[in-house]
Amino acid sequence: MSEDNTYAVVRSEDGLEHSLQSILDQKSLRWIFVGGKGGVGKTTTSCSLAIQLAKVRRSVLLISTDPAHNLSDAFSQKFGKEARLVDGFDNLSAMEIDPNGSIQDLLAGQGEGADAADMGGIGNMMQDLAFAIPGIDEAMSFAEVLKQVKSLSYETIIFDTAPTGHTLRFLQFPSVLEKALAKVSQLSSQYGPLLSGFLGSNGSLPNGQNLNEMMEKLETLRATISEVNTQFKDERLTTFVCVCIPEFLSLYETERMIQELATYGIDTHSIVVNQLLFPKEGSDCEQCTARRRMQVKYLEQIDELYEDFNIVWMPLLTEEIRGKQRLEKFSEMLIKPYVPPK
Amino acid sequence: MPSLLVAIFVVELVVQLVNSIGAATINSLIWRAVTSLPVPIAQEFADQRKKQKEYLAVRRELQATSSQDQFAKWAKLRRQHDKLLEGLEKKKTALDASRAKFDSYLTTARLISTRGVQWFLPFWYSKEPIFWLPYGWFPYYVEWFASFPRAPIGSVSIVVWQWACTGMITLIIETVVAAYGLAATVGEKAQKQAVPAGTAKVGDAGETTKSR
Repeated sequence: MSEDNTYAVVRSEDGLEHSLQSILDQKSLRWIFVGGKGGVGKTTTSCSLAIQLAKVRRSVLLISTDPAHNLSDAFSQKFGKEARLVDGFDNLSAMEIDPNGSIQDLLAGQGEGADAADMGGIGNMMQDLAFAIPGIDEAMSFAEVLKQVKSLSYETIIFDTAPTGHTLRFLQFPSVLEKALAKVSQLSSQYGPLLSGFLGSNGSLPNGQNLNEMMEKLETLRATISEVNTQFKDERLTTFVCVCIPEFLSLYETERMIQELATYGIDTHSIVVNQLLFPKEGSDCEQCTARRRMQVKYLEQIDELYEDFNIVWMPLLTEEIRGKQRLEKFSEMLIKPYVPPK
Repeated sequence: MPSLLVAIFVVELVVQLVNSIGAATINSLIWRAVTSLPVPIAQEFADQRKKQKEYLAVRRELQATSSQDQFAKWAKLRRQHDKLLEGLEKKKTALDASRAKFDSYLTTARLISTRGVQWFLPFWYSKEPIFWLPYGWFPYYVEWFASFPRAPIGSVSIVVWQWACTGMITLIIETVVAAYGLAATVGEKAQKQAVPAGTAKVGDAGETTKSR
């Protein structure tokens, strides 16, 4: 059993550092995603990473796209749809965006000057259509983020993403929308004359929307999104930090996520293994030692499987990680590997 | 013109054979023959089969590996598995397309060389006599019919010769098939009869043992 306890100190020397120092050093990074299965500590990790990055960057923005917002909890401070400075920092801001809210906003903005009662017929159809596009809600929140980010010029943006499936859909969205919009553009150029015959010469839809205007809006959205998509596929600009715990399901999800990220061409080279138990030597806590043994098994597997990744070990603390001080203390361990007490 | 005579016969023979064997069977036979030759397409198919074997081996190993006890090994196998599967599927569509192309070429060639010739020759040589009937042996209406539609009276026209060949070949093929079928059923019957005879013997033996 003492073998198990010393495992943390004796790690295979493969030349790769077991910290996120490489992310701090890579000054060209603009987008950092933090993702993983639910409940593994994504928010804590992204907050800690943001704190560490704020020390070496001019300005950092932390964005939560998870509908269950935890940033406010983590920093014990209320955040909203607008970027707001985190208390005690002068270059770290945070915001929470609601993926479901923004699509309503967009549709409402479309029908300017029209009554809500008028949203019948084609208006309703457009709404249904818009909701039917996979990943549209994420993309809308994303578009909102882009608007903000463009005007505020943050040096680094960290995304605290929603649990796995959600995240990947969000990343996939630009290509889906690009295909859909290419089709729509083609159709509208082919049948444009026909449609304007139906809709009148100015192409206005029954609820006060304007077909051409809407097409233009979609086109600009597509342009922005495809631009961002190329940025995401650039490993100098974007990286993905996987957070997991040493348990089978979490590992399985992580592996799946890493493979999918590879197919999207998104760089990932860091894994944060969270909630590690380090029972003291001679501890008679049965659960702790049994669980520790299981964790060690999976840690060995992780080391073997992801040999070219930066694998960071984070301990499970005895206290909740909330508030600036505790987060700062926790964030230290992302940079300087944690050494368990003897 | 004996060569035309033979040609018509051969074309009809081929058409009838294709009809009775089946175009799809012939296509697949030729395809198999081509892929067994040392041509690039055959090489690709051999590669595909090799990859399939490799994939099956990986899959078996993946199924034999516990994902919970040996996660690293399992995940590596899984990656290999997914990669192989993707490659196989991509290749399969390409190979299927090449097979379909080959089939369409073959069908076109076959149609031209049988149906096309079958229609073209009578059209082109409609006025040529295939051979002459002995003078005065047949009444006029037989000679008129034999020269139908446009060959000189007293000769056998190409169309009539074609009909004759078709009729004869169909007859022969039907006879052969029927004879074969008959032989088969006779053989089966003989076997069927042989079986009850055997069981009867066993029964007899049982009875005798019982009686004893």
